[in-house]
Amino acid sequence: MENKSVVIQMQPSPNNEGRSLIQNKKKWTSIFNRNSEWRGKIWIYGSAIVVILSVIAITLFLTVQGLRSFVVDHINVIDFITGTEWYPDRAENPSYGALPFIFGSLTVTILAAILAAPFAIGSALFMTELAPKWGQKVLQPVIEILVGIPSVVYGFIGLSVIVPFMRTHVGGSGFSLLSGALVVGVMILPTITSISADAVRAVSHDLRQASYALGATKWQTIYRVVIPAAKSTLLTAIVLGMARAFGEALAVQMVIGNARNLPNAISDPSATLTTIITLSMGHSTTGSVLNDVLWSLGLVLLIISYGFILLIRFISRRGQIS
Amino acid sequence: MTSKITNRIALTVIVLCALVMTATLAALLGYILYHGLSAISLSFLTKDSSSFQAGGGIKNQLWNSFYILFATMLFTVPLGLCGGIYLSEYAKPNKLTQFIRSCVEVLASLPSIVVGMFGLLIFVNYFGWQYSILSGALALTVFNLPVIVRVTEDALQSVPRELREGGLALGVTQWHTIKTIVVPAAFPGILTGIILSAGRVFGESAALLFTAGLSTPNLDFSNWNPMSMTSPLNPFRSAETLSVHIWQVNTAGITPDIQTIANGSSAVLVLCVLGFNLFARMVGKFIDRKLTGKA
Amino acid sequence: MNQVYVKQNVEESHQNMKKASPVLEVKDLNIYYGEHHAVKHITMPIEEKSITALIGPSGCGKSTFLRTINRMNDLIHGARSEGEILYGGINLLTPKVDVVQLRKEIGMVFQRPNPFPKSIYENLVLSLKFSGIRDKKKLKDIAEDCLRKAALWDEVKDRLDKSALSLSGGQQQRLCIARALALKPKVLLLDEPSSALDPISSSKIEELLLKLKEEYTIIIVTHNMQQAARIADKTAFFYQGELIEYGNTDQMFTHPAEKRTEDYISGRFG
Repeated sequence: MENKSVVIQMQPSPNNEGRSLIQNKKKWTSIFNRNSEWRGKIWIYGSAIVVILSVIAITLFLTVQGLRSFVVDHINVIDFITGTEWYPDRAENPSYGALPFIFGSLTVTILAAILAAPFAIGSALFMTELAPKWGQKVLQPVIEILVGIPSVVYGFIGLSVIVPFMRTHVGGSGFSLLSGALVVGVMILPTITSISADAVRAVSHDLRQASYALGATKWQTIYRVVIPAAKSTLLTAIVLGMARAFGEALAVQMVIGNARNLPNAISDPSATLTTIITLSMGHSTTGSVLNDVLWSLGLVLLIISYGFILLIRFISRRGQIS
Repeated sequence: MTSKITNRIALTVIVLCALVMTATLAALLGYILYHGLSAISLSFLTKDSSSFQAGGGIKNQLWNSFYILFATMLFTVPLGLCGGIYLSEYAKPNKLTQFIRSCVEVLASLPSIVVGMFGLLIFVNYFGWQYSILSGALALTVFNLPVIVRVTEDALQSVPRELREGGLALGVTQWHTIKTIVVPAAFPGILTGIILSAGRVFGESAALLFTAGLSTPNLDFSNWNPMSMTSPLNPFRSAETLSVHIWQVNTAGITPDIQTIANGSSAVLVLCVLGFNLFARMVGKFIDRKLTGKA
Repeated sequence: MNQVYVKQNVEESHQNMKKASPVLEVKDLNIYYGEHHAVKHITMPIEEKSITALIGPSGCGKSTFLRTINRMNDLIHGARSEGEILYGGINLLTPKVDVVQLRKEIGMVFQRPNPFPKSIYENLVLSLKFSGIRDKKKLKDIAEDCLRKAALWDEVKDRLDKSALSLSGGQQQRLCIARALALKPKVLLLDEPSSALDPISSSKIEELLLKLKEEYTIIIVTHNMQQAARIADKTAFFYQGELIEYGNTDQMFTHPAEKRTEDYISGRFG
């Protein structure tokens, strides 16, 4: 009984007339209303679709194009990956061995990480553990500016400073794997530093306090408590730096010497996947075997990049569990 | 005692690392500016580049860089903003969202030359736009999109939940709340991120080699008809940007003053990027102050 | 034993309220966060043009209950509700309800002042502009009217174009109330509106609420029992998700029917 009376009393008052609490069923017409939720959603979902489509398109098209040399030109995949002879333009018996480039790419990447990681993590520790104030005031802008410097500028400086230096002090032409690794190492320094600094900052203060309370020195605390606690993110930082080093094209191309053979020493000129693509892609005609093989190199580049992404995921997932 | 000595040594090494880093930047900037500033002159900035003789300038390259940057931002900013809004505001914690996040991550970590190759395949060959500003800008859009998405998402995440609730509680739809309250509140952060990413786009070269090309047709700066081949505005002409020019000059240049041109161009490029950095900071601070009513 | 008391009590209040008209009718409301049963079997009518205070210790479900009335809890992932909240003959909890319209009729003010980082004027007219009012004169009039109602007009009339964040905490909160009034809601929900404010600002808010109840139905969640005693016509005591006691404020504070209510009011827990 009471309920009924409530319902009757609760007729909308004049000032709220026309407002209906029940939703309008004809939703799609509201696209034309500029305030409508629908319009917004079209934008939003459209953008999300563009992101997905670009990833799928890149992967798909590069794969299809990259497989041409194996499917259409009948180059043996194993020979391609393990062959050391790159003579695609030889009229008789051309040979498409990509191993020197794969080797070059991986060596430059690993060398660059070895060169950069200690300095990067050291700097990260400095700006978080030793002198946060200086870190914030000096090192933070330094990192931001270093990240911002375009890679061709790194390449240019490598060409005009590091290459002559190597020539006089190490010997040879100065164009070498080592020069490439040095240039890229400097390039990835800020990347690794800033992520490492975030990792170290994220370590809880209680852990440090506990360590100091046990009479540990600052270094012991860093070494035994802070670094182990931040380990997985530090690793992620290094791998991210390596991924960037691996994908760098022009800066490396300017200093590495672009030799087509497997190098005997790190002071020898060499080439990487990116540099050979950079150099040859423009000259090759679409549909030629050389062009197809370059796309295959691109596919290798893509696959290894995906490898880095998976590796990063693996590391951070393991970090979360432990 | 030994632990104290180790401590001393280790801490010294850490300080040295930081010094090396700072010294590297100082050396880099010092080198570029020392060698480059003397090469920069009004005629260097306003003259056409020359293929054989000394004394060429970088007018076209500079123009191309800014034009491609502008076009890229025109595509990236709306897309990136909406993508960031999606991830921050609409995405439910489900498989689809995870997939989109992975896609952003993949896009962000793809080598730029791979993006360039994709551009070559799709925009240059498939759509038949040839080496052009449009192809270059679209390739850079793919390259820059994940950055803007992340910047936007981070900035939106830092907007307190209370503001969203405030909007919704006023009977405003979610989209309108985002549009008029949340995004404006996150605007300083988003804008700073966009300007910083502009610096990155400005300096990018590898993605442009096979999309925007290595040459520029003769431009007539009095012809502003975008359909004309000699017009600087024509989006379908090839365009060598400043950073591609630096690479080009260093690897294939045959003019006698290669070193001077490379020095000057690098200095201009670095100064532009530094300018973007500085501008980003100032704008961010300025808007922030205006929003919080301290100005 | 307790259950019986509660039932009796609720029925008693139903009797009392027959004279006045309930604007909201809550019936056997249950709210869950995932597995957690946050609000249990609430049944209570809310009287029109009065102040109803919801009190109880933290985590007792009073805020959850409040946020369910205008469906703000929809935003929380995993929250769901069962039962009925009748308003104008419509169960507000059914999916058919247009929450955007609902929130225009049932406004809300939050614990922490949340003015938008825009000018004072923009804060007031944002929702009006969204509703399609474009006439500048009309917008200005409504803004002034709301500010006057919220007793803020004299303090801010000269700086309407200044950032709302430049106001003090108390002023910000009154701005939020003014903002909620702009759409002429029927009901105003307040979630501990003065807990983040100093005592002077707090008492200003209380004065304001007493004035506003002539026009609006007000439901306020508060931690402060004195506040409830000072301003509320009805008080509801929540404990561990249950409505323990609901009745006239005077009666509840002088002769609580329930032992737990008495313990809480006299400060023995909470």
